[in-house]
Amino acid sequence: MRSLHIRWWTVGAAFAIAATFLVKGPYAASLVNLVAISALIAASLRFGMLIGEVSFATSTFVGLGAYGAGIATTILHWPFLIAMVLGPLVVIGISVLFGWVTLRIKGPYFMLIGFAFVEVVRIALGKIAFIGGVAGMVGIFPPHFVDPWMPTIVMAVVTGLLFSLYVIEKSDFGKVLVAIRDNEDIARTVGLNVLSLKIACFAIASFCAGVAGSLHGFVNNVISPDDFGFMLTVFALAFVKVGGESSIFGAVAGAIILVLISSFALGLGAAEQFVYGGAIVLAMLFLPQGLAGLPWRKCLPARWAKRPANLVNTVAR
Amino acid sequence: MASPSNILLRTTGLTRRFGGLVAVADLDLEIRQGEILGLIGPNGAGKSTTFNLISGFIKPSSGTLEVFGRKCNGMSPTTISRLGLTRTFQHGSYLRTMNVRDNILIGTVHWLAGASSAQRMKRVEETAAILGLTPYLETIASSLPHGIQRLVSIAIAFATRPRLLCLDEPLTGLNQTEVATTLDILRSIRRDFGSTILLVEHNMKAVMSVCERIVVLHHGRQLATGTPAEVRMNEQVITAYLGTSHGK
Repeated sequence: MRSLHIRWWTVGAAFAIAATFLVKGPYAASLVNLVAISALIAASLRFGMLIGEVSFATSTFVGLGAYGAGIATTILHWPFLIAMVLGPLVVIGISVLFGWVTLRIKGPYFMLIGFAFVEVVRIALGKIAFIGGVAGMVGIFPPHFVDPWMPTIVMAVVTGLLFSLYVIEKSDFGKVLVAIRDNEDIARTVGLNVLSLKIACFAIASFCAGVAGSLHGFVNNVISPDDFGFMLTVFALAFVKVGGESSIFGAVAGAIILVLISSFALGLGAAEQFVYGGAIVLAMLFLPQGLAGLPWRKCLPARWAKRPANLVNTVAR
Repeated sequence: MASPSNILLRTTGLTRRFGGLVAVADLDLEIRQGEILGLIGPNGAGKSTTFNLISGFIKPSSGTLEVFGRKCNGMSPTTISRLGLTRTFQHGSYLRTMNVRDNILIGTVHWLAGASSAQRMKRVEETAAILGLTPYLETIASSLPHGIQRLVSIAIAFATRPRLLCLDEPLTGLNQTEVATTLDILRSIRRDFGSTILLVEHNMKAVMSVCERIVVLHHGRQLATGTPAEVRMNEQVITAYLGTSHGK
């Protein structure tokens, strides 16, 4: 495993977590939470895209995470930590099962099944009376002593998971996932069990979506099935596309920028759908590689602006 | 003569139909330990179908497939490759977005699953050296010249250190120098690692120079088999390749 940029991750995470101590007032806190959770959802969606699949089921797994937190807190009265992990653990099980059935198909077909799954689960959640039906659940509060620290906790969990996703992507397992996206048949002929690997990738991505859901439940305190429709994945896709698919930093940057812009636009009376839709169109037209595709290195001081090794040998022959 | 133990792959009456078309008919094929076997035939002769059958990508309609003495009918490509048979593909048989190092690495992941990443890297670098890919290790595969991409596809397959290496038209689009280099590499792979090689090729001169035995397919059937010299002299082969004039 080559350089994991652990130093930069440590600095970035420390900075992000420290910044949450400066947050004053409920609006700023909710914005920080929203940015962090959106970044995790975007990174989760992007992780699934390593094997070349866009999983609309991401919305559902966020929803199941949130409902896990809601059920554990308001109905079962379980402790906070258990409520946090209940949803994500259930999500792992469901995503393995869902992946085992659906990951045999690819591309638009997989996307459509995910789309149908999201809508079915959304409608089903609305029909179950004991979790509030279409009105959803209220009163998902963390313990009183935790409440003021929620932005810090959210940021710490999110940066931890983002780093884990980054490490996994850079590992040989992560490379195998990209190999499957590039050419599944080659992966098969060198003895790799493609379906199992895809399911593993899908389960990891879904677990992160589930954690994002748990966090969402605790910081929002109110959830309803309509929060977890397909639009949630569309937003995440906008973050990934605007930020750039090629790196996890793209997904994070896209989430930060778009959430901030749309919060600003909401203040002006616009709907976030317009902001995200417009952002996707503009990014596709002018930034096909997203923000991560911009020539950032040119802006760096010369000693940092090393040429990426992969370009060194691409001389014309 | 070949004793049963040194036959790596045997098909008996292997047949594959696509609707009304019989792509491969009643094929009896034997690949012996340590040989370079050429599989040739005009376009549409059934070479690719045969390749897909023996590597598990399509299932036979009838007949049996035995790889390393095990009956493999209906086995998945993954299972067959885990027995020690690795193949390449005619088109784009490399990982586009990854550098050559990671391309070759993918070939080692299953076979060195328990090994440290340093050991995997050692295998990668050794493989790259054998195929002359060391200067390109950090280059993204899609940006390489065609000839080098062809070598990368062999490198991925060879990184598994297969007992039977099946190459699907590895010489297509290469210039003469590249063809000679690739053939030398195949010879040295066989000599140094004892790999057996099945070669599907259109480049007749190359096949004649590197293969010990050649199987000629025509309309899905085995038309002839033998040494390059025997095949070259075979009337039916000449007719199939060159066509026949009226009255003959």
